Amino acid sequence: MALCDPALLGGGWVNALRLSWLYLRVGVMNELQYRVNFVVQIFQSAITLLVGLAVLALVYSHTDELNGWTQPELLCVLGIQILMGGVIRTYIQPNMTRVMEEVRLGTLDYALTKPEDAQLLASVREVRIWQVVDVISGAVVLGFGLSRIESGLSAVDAAAFAIALLFGAVMIYCFWLVIATGAFWVVNMWTAAELFDGVFQTGRWPVGIYPGWLRVSVTFLVPIAFAVTVPAEAATSRLEWQTLLLAAGFAVVLLAFTRWFWRFGLRNYTGASA
Amino acid sequence: MEHAVHISGLEKIFMVPEREAGLVAATKSLVRRQSREVRAVDGISFDIAPGEVVGFLGPNGAGKTTTLKMLSGLLYPTGGEARILGHAPSKREKAFLRRITLVMGNRNQLQWDLPALDSYELNRAIYRIPRADFTPMRDDLIELLDVGDLVRKPVRQLSLGERMKVEIVGALLHRPQVLFLDEPTIGLDVTMQKRIRSFVATYNERHGATVLLTSHYMADVQALCKRVVVIHHGRILFDGPLTGLADQFAAYKTIGVALADGHVDLDRYGEVLHRDGDWVTLRVPKAETSQVTARLLSEQSVLDLRIEDTPIEDVIELVFAQARSE
Repeated sequence: MALCDPALLGGGWVNALRLSWLYLRVGVMNELQYRVNFVVQIFQSAITLLVGLAVLALVYSHTDELNGWTQPELLCVLGIQILMGGVIRTYIQPNMTRVMEEVRLGTLDYALTKPEDAQLLASVREVRIWQVVDVISGAVVLGFGLSRIESGLSAVDAAAFAIALLFGAVMIYCFWLVIATGAFWVVNMWTAAELFDGVFQTGRWPVGIYPGWLRVSVTFLVPIAFAVTVPAEAATSRLEWQTLLLAAGFAVVLLAFTRWFWRFGLRNYTGASA
Repeated sequence: MEHAVHISGLEKIFMVPEREAGLVAATKSLVRRQSREVRAVDGISFDIAPGEVVGFLGPNGAGKTTTLKMLSGLLYPTGGEARILGHAPSKREKAFLRRITLVMGNRNQLQWDLPALDSYELNRAIYRIPRADFTPMRDDLIELLDVGDLVRKPVRQLSLGERMKVEIVGALLHRPQVLFLDEPTIGLDVTMQKRIRSFVATYNERHGATVLLTSHYMADVQALCKRVVVIHHGRILFDGPLTGLADQFAAYKTIGVALADGHVDLDRYGEVLHRDGDWVTLRVPKAETSQVTARLLSEQSVLDLRIEDTPIEDVIELVFAQARSE
């Protein structure tokens, strides 16, 4: 069974951390050469942030509350969405697009001939360190939003938030890995990848405001609700423990499924035969 | 002694989607997919002893790369068995992957923007090579390939040949016992090819490594491999010493001759392969070589004459031509 795989349990985590650290160092060395990226990134982050804030201000100039969320609470949602977007673009997206690219070029073969778990290796090789700017700016917005909520953040809420955020990141990783694994059959998965960016924008608002079909889609199909709304619920003291449990269960199921799917894909992978 | 590489009845069948050209056929294929079986590797068997260097030859699409990929655990065989140093490659065991390496001539695995030295460190960590083994091995390889200056430059600034050399260093840091080299000299200039050739020979000698090499450059094969395995349409045509290949398949020799009068018709002596100014190259059956030479010398005003074995490239061509006509 996939979950009993040593790469996922026990010593596997230590190894995963070791490899991540190694590639993080290489990634940082790589990106330090392109300082202009840093400037561009700050500029992009600033625009994202300003647009987000302007839209929020616009909405709250007409109403005091949106589906039970006050303005500072929605600031938290926006902060978490920016933060999670930063995590995705720092780690998840670059690695997964690299897998797709390497499947096309046939260079994934090199990763597969290394004495390491292929999924692990494929998941940690790229780090776009400048995207951390978004993580920081998201955290600042979140902090600012929290500071304006009167009830404040309890220790339990903070812990629930951290856990929910982790589950959310895991689910987004799984989603991307499924897309990337799809490249084993359909070489051009870029469209699906590009679609993600658009869909992720729905995370700016709590998923409760969307009609049922969309809510279900961005919860279970593309797990944006778990990645943004659920952590935001935790941060704003409205998370029910059942939701967190559901998130945990869904994360485990997704992780097991993607592990199986990746291996299934790998078995079918034939490489671009030279 | 146990074989380093043991292959028996190895098979790989691909299902390839297929359709006629044109819009109608394309639309039809949406509904009903036609596919065809391609037997890329069709039941091949051979063994390689530890420390042996074997040339793996065949035209494009013969099944060489597919075989190498099965042997390095990248492709699951459809049938048959492969064992490398006692491991089944398709299981991709870490103990197995640590003992082999795969070098593909036109592909790059080093970090593009960083000096190769940084990528070597990464490989050290991935292969868990103890520092005490790593440093001398790295320095040794760097010296052998003469890349001392190159490993400090970002890989993107290196030429194709330089990149190949630093790639090879990276691929051998973990001291693999079995090397799969797929066209390692492709696209390189002659000097660079020679360098890599002599390096492979030295590595083989020093570490007793087993090497399976594919190359389009017969010079590589001649310099390195006493034994060749020739594959065509997924089947083995020949497995034996390189010299035996010429004996078995080349029933001809070539006679190069320079005549005072370059316009004489030489068809009655043998098959004229080409004319280059006054220099004419003839192909004659091996058994008739001396007789034809004698006739040429007595009947024509010969300025220069040279008898040669069929070049190995031509032998290979003959082998494939023979296989096609069968």
